Amino acid sequence: MELCLFLGCNTPAIRPDVERAIRATMPELGVDLADAEGYVCCPAFGSFPSTDDDSYLASSGWNLSIAEAKGLDIMVQCGSCYSSLRMGRDHLAHDEEKLARVNELIELTGRKLECKTKVRHISEILYNEVGAEKISRSIKKNLSGLHGIVQYPCHTLFPSEIVGFEESPREPKALRILTEALGATVDHYSRELQCCGGAGGFSKSSPAEATEFAKTKLDAIIEETKADFIVVSCITCLMYLDNIQKKLNEVEGTDKYHIPVFDYNQLLALCMEFDPRQVASICTVPRNKVIDKIMAG
Amino acid sequence: MDFSSSDKDLWKQIYNTKDLLHCFNCSTCLSGCPASHGDPPLLVRNLARMVVYGLEEDLLNDDTPWACVSCSRCEEMCPMDVKPFEMILAIRRWQTLNDETRVPTAIVEIYKRGYTQSVGTNTELRKSLGLPELQTITKMPEMLKLYQEMLMKTPVVSENDYMFNEE
Amino acid sequence: MAEKKPTGTVLVAGAGVSGIKAAIELAEIGYKVLLTDASPQIGGILAKLDNQFPTDHCGMCRMLPLVGREYASQYCMRKGLYHENIEILPFTELKSVEGDAGNYTIELLQKARYIDTDKCNGLGECIKVCPVEVGDEFNHGLTKRKAVYKPVPHNTPQMLLIDMAACTKCGECVKVCPTNVINLEAEDELSTRQVHAIILASGVKLYNLEEFEDAKSWAVSPDVVSSLAFERIISGSGTFDGTIKRPSDGKAAKKIAWIQCMGSRNRRQKRDYCSSICCMFALKEAVLAKEKGGDDVETTIFYMDMRTFGKDFYQYYEKAVDEHGVKLIRCRVQGVMLNPDKSLSMRYFDSETQEFFVVDYDMVVLSTGQVPYETHKKLADLLHVAINAQGLLPTDPYEKVKLIKPGMFLCGSLMGLTDLSEAISSGIAAAGQVSRFLSGIDVTLLEEEEIPEPTAKDRDEPLISIVLCKCSEKAKESSVDFNALGAGLKKLNSVGEVNIIDMVCSDEGKQTVLDLLSKSKCNRLLIGACHPFMYRKSLKNLAKKAGFSASLFEIIDLSSIVHKGFFESETKDQTRLAYNEIRAVIENLKLKPALHVETLPINPAALVVGGGIAGMHAAFSLAQRGVKVHLVEKSDTLGGYAGTKIEHTIDGLTPISMAKDLTIKVLEHKHITLYKNCEVVATQGSLGAFETKIRDLAKEENFYLNHGAAIIATGGHEGVTAEYEYGNSDQILTQAELKDGLTTGEIDVGEAETIVMIQCVGSRQKDGREYCSRICCIGAIANALTIKEKNPEARVFILYRDVMTYGFAEQYYTQARLAGIIFVSYSLENKPKVELKDGSPVITFTEPVLNSEMQLSPDYLILSTGVDAEASNRDVGKAFSLPVNGDGFFVEADSKWRPVEFLKVGLYVAGVAHSPMTLKDAILQAEAAAHKTYAYLSGRKIHTAHVISKVHHAICVKCQRCVDICPYGARSYDEVLDRIIVDGATCQACGMCGVACQNNAAEIMGFSDKQIMAVIDARLYRDPVATTAQ
Repeated sequence: MELCLFLGCNTPAIRPDVERAIRATMPELGVDLADAEGYVCCPAFGSFPSTDDDSYLASSGWNLSIAEAKGLDIMVQCGSCYSSLRMGRDHLAHDEEKLARVNELIELTGRKLECKTKVRHISEILYNEVGAEKISRSIKKNLSGLHGIVQYPCHTLFPSEIVGFEESPREPKALRILTEALGATVDHYSRELQCCGGAGGFSKSSPAEATEFAKTKLDAIIEETKADFIVVSCITCLMYLDNIQKKLNEVEGTDKYHIPVFDYNQLLALCMEFDPRQVASICTVPRNKVIDKIMAG
Repeated sequence: MDFSSSDKDLWKQIYNTKDLLHCFNCSTCLSGCPASHGDPPLLVRNLARMVVYGLEEDLLNDDTPWACVSCSRCEEMCPMDVKPFEMILAIRRWQTLNDETRVPTAIVEIYKRGYTQSVGTNTELRKSLGLPELQTITKMPEMLKLYQEMLMKTPVVSENDYMFNEE
Repeated sequence: MAEKKPTGTVLVAGAGVSGIKAAIELAEIGYKVLLTDASPQIGGILAKLDNQFPTDHCGMCRMLPLVGREYASQYCMRKGLYHENIEILPFTELKSVEGDAGNYTIELLQKARYIDTDKCNGLGECIKVCPVEVGDEFNHGLTKRKAVYKPVPHNTPQMLLIDMAACTKCGECVKVCPTNVINLEAEDELSTRQVHAIILASGVKLYNLEEFEDAKSWAVSPDVVSSLAFERIISGSGTFDGTIKRPSDGKAAKKIAWIQCMGSRNRRQKRDYCSSICCMFALKEAVLAKEKGGDDVETTIFYMDMRTFGKDFYQYYEKAVDEHGVKLIRCRVQGVMLNPDKSLSMRYFDSETQEFFVVDYDMVVLSTGQVPYETHKKLADLLHVAINAQGLLPTDPYEKVKLIKPGMFLCGSLMGLTDLSEAISSGIAAAGQVSRFLSGIDVTLLEEEEIPEPTAKDRDEPLISIVLCKCSEKAKESSVDFNALGAGLKKLNSVGEVNIIDMVCSDEGKQTVLDLLSKSKCNRLLIGACHPFMYRKSLKNLAKKAGFSASLFEIIDLSSIVHKGFFESETKDQTRLAYNEIRAVIENLKLKPALHVETLPINPAALVVGGGIAGMHAAFSLAQRGVKVHLVEKSDTLGGYAGTKIEHTIDGLTPISMAKDLTIKVLEHKHITLYKNCEVVATQGSLGAFETKIRDLAKEENFYLNHGAAIIATGGHEGVTAEYEYGNSDQILTQAELKDGLTTGEIDVGEAETIVMIQCVGSRQKDGREYCSRICCIGAIANALTIKEKNPEARVFILYRDVMTYGFAEQYYTQARLAGIIFVSYSLENKPKVELKDGSPVITFTEPVLNSEMQLSPDYLILSTGVDAEASNRDVGKAFSLPVNGDGFFVEADSKWRPVEFLKVGLYVAGVAHSPMTLKDAILQAEAAAHKTYAYLSGRKIHTAHVISKVHHAICVKCQRCVDICPYGARSYDEVLDRIIVDGATCQACGMCGVACQNNAAEIMGFSDKQIMAVIDARLYRDPVATTAQ
């Protein structure tokens, strides 16, 4: 299958190694990727969605129509981009008036939007289209002997009727099953479904409280699991959970927070024996131990 | 607080949906909200109440809607389907409409380069990772111009056009 | 020759509490009842509950008939039900219903149990050898059971069955079965039956944690359980022998939280209704947890509104909070987190301090409610009716037990999850409706049993015939040597003969016994058999046929002697045990007097006090069945409060026009005599023969009415208040005044900007009405909606403590919010304050969500002043010697199990005289009270029991201690006769009078001191030569 890759901003700008991992692994699994040339901000919830419908949906329409012109569905990794695009599409698909207005606005591009293009999250593609079994068959190295915990992206869970794909948004399992397909043991812990806390204004407006909030999650991981790594499938979760550990060590005067964080596709890429320097090189918490173990295995 | 000064129809301006009126203050939205850990906390239930009461001034001065992490957990859990996240966005819009200092700087950035940060300019790094050059809108000036032209037709951008036009 | 009329036969589908009650009521008046249940047992949810509010005890047996108790087989109801006129068909589904009113052909599918329960001895050899273990449904999977199992552990006899889904057909059970009753190839059986009426009592599906998405935030640990599973955890016969341990590791649970509205009040999941009973259920469980788990158990209930709306509920709530320290937190929580130490973390918001708390609990109990729609759709299809707009079965607008299809009725939780008291009332009401319906069609009743008088032979010297069934010999544990036993017994004084027979319960066995006894010269009979309660009916008939008096006949349970472990601590010599047991019974039987029963003279007329809707409904219900009714009303109009003041209700009822129709029916009915402007002065007599003095207020003269029974339906009215400046401003009104004004147009809200309503004025507080009036929240909402209709711009605030829109009335609360009506809660400790400024009200209150002081200057302040009992209740109470509670409402015999009865048999209560209630509930109660009355006035013979208490007047000093102590009010002092008299119908032979009497002047017939001492002697005596074997 072929999908239109919507990268957003954080991934290509700050964590391009994740982009590399996605571009490397997906075609191996039979998912070819086309670029969305001239795409714009998803738009982020703190931007146009917080000002007015016109600018929000026009931006959604702008992006959706690029993929629609190619006749492709959109694939997104970033949780916020996924949710914004998908909610935008949902508004347009259920409101002819709004759709007409957006078509009026994007007319200058020469594109037209019919809302045929669907917005899909990369973990859903991996789970439903590729399947855990195929993933297991496609890897050369595995994560056996390693323990991980998974961070489900809130934006792929709630509200389930718009963005969801899990059987139960309250008991998600896709990312766990995908991680187990790489041979890792996935540990459960009390705060498994707690948000990373990284998105939106919270971490900026209440930095101390947000750090404390993240601490409860990381403490639970440390105390309750044998996690060698954290798996995410959202760029915000990745950056936030990676960076906050350094901050926590500074605040707490300790070095106990050092669990490396990987995007799922980075682990997949490592198991497919792609070059770690390309697919998993940018991080705050060092990843060497895990990478070395995979390479050695 | 005197209710006589409150605007009973304010909710129609802010979040004119029957969903809001369903709210029975059960507090479900609060208990799992990440931003409720903030200082000041984001208290979604209280915001809904303020909208229903029409406490205009308090609402205009309230920063907490902007602390929302957009996880939408409250949407999923709300037993009355109030769609609290939609309400948060609606409050932000209303604030923006009534107070230009609320206009998020992010939209100025997006207007200028298509994104809230520069994307695709880290060419060296990308090359070292084996990544292709990215066809961002920043690199397509004609396209960007069309995008800006389009945005200028939308209400908040056009009303605050001075923020966007200075070079 | 005319064709013989068929016996009136009724299907009661569903054998929970309401179904059982309906079945008993119909059986008692002579109809044949088929009582089916889809599950393998009867008892419904109640089988799982050991403790019921408000006494926190069981009381199920209180639903058994009081008069004629010896004929309806009396037995612990949690163990089983036996009634001659009821055919019980568990594990049976109603498959189809065809035909017209009064003539239904039904198909019943009796599912295979694979065990012939008629022949099974219930000792469970098969269970021991069964290799399959699965989760036990009865204990909600908290314990294991085998593939062959007892569905309810405390049922007797044990109605075993095989769970074929789990069974491996290994055949081990077949090999060990001593009675050879297992057939693994048995098949479901479809049968066709004719019935004349149908009562649906199949209950409602309950929310289960496995099925629904919103429960998944909670299903993180086995220590998160449903409220029914918690009942099993605290049950003495449950999972942990009654102590509270958490299921995950058996550690004592010391901190327990209840989560209310689980599955209910949820628009998002399309369940926007309340389940009515969960608030009281949680309070009861929290109190029990403290009582059973100790003082250090902390209990917290997370709620939205504590819906303690029923009679005495609020007082229980006060007790739970004030005395037991049950903590209540108003917050709906999203879910729970499982910690490594297995504790469960919950985060909640405290509005009072505007702070969040994270608290760890050992256990979390989810108050799971009803999910009615599926249940109703399925039944509606079966009955060929369409479900109504709410997705429920279509019922008569006023009579909620009456389906719109003639001859079909419903009761219990099918009407919406009901508490016990309503389940019982609705069961009786449904039976009443059936009896009204059947009285109009051509069916007969079952023949009444003749009760023979004692004969000369009975009064002869005692000579006892003993029949022992030796089938229990086959049980593995049995070591009874029946030959030795028989020989031993034969030697005893007064024993005429001993016959040892195999399988007395079989038809052959019975015939053998009958043949033997017919030739017998004995006048007393003792039968020893296994599970005697099961065969009581047939053994009793056997004795009767053979000419033995019912009072000179005893049955003894041999299986309990044989059953392993029963007397193990004493001795293992079962033959000796059996001998001693039987000897004690013989000693008693020897001394038994030949008792006779009295047939009560019954005046087949009823007195109904109160001509409101409840009173009129009861009168008409009785008159329709041919009972003569005296209807006494103290005013000069019929209709009562609702029928004269309430034009329409929120659910579309029109009480005034309904009362008018009913008035015409009452006035026109030949069996009803109306006495207006009359009140009750005094009454005397007992069931069947009351005489009541009536005062004609207009003519100012007295007259007397004779009647067999009476119904008190004196009603109530809107409460009065002096609180909140009421009376000091014409802008301050009661809800009724507002409703009146809105209807007549005297109050114009067209220009009003703000209207404030205050709920619970003078209610639900210690120094006021200590109860919820049930109707005020719905009434306030109705008025508020009318205001919004007339003036959508008006702001309407309802200041409430708990919104009591229980059940499907929740829709009105939702409707009100959607109309823009604003609900603001306040607490009893912090009531709103009302001041007058320039004659207009100004209200100050704490807004609980934002926790800030707020002020309103409304155009109108409306007070919900609740429902007051009629002041005359105390006089009526005095006239009938009936108890009235502190709030002025009548006190029924038992709030759960006998909701419309008084302790004194023959007197009943209906409507608001009982407690504040909605119109539909008052009508339901009236129907139930009428039926209870009808049961005695229908013309069937009413007998006293053989065993009742009597007075030896010669030694009685008339101290009246017995009168004071009698829990049934059966004893009284008759001034004219100057002696203590016993109401033979009311006396239940409990023996309290015998204990209280210091002169031995009170005696329970058949339980003389001499008999009791003889039994004790026999039990203490050890006869060394009694057993020769071993």
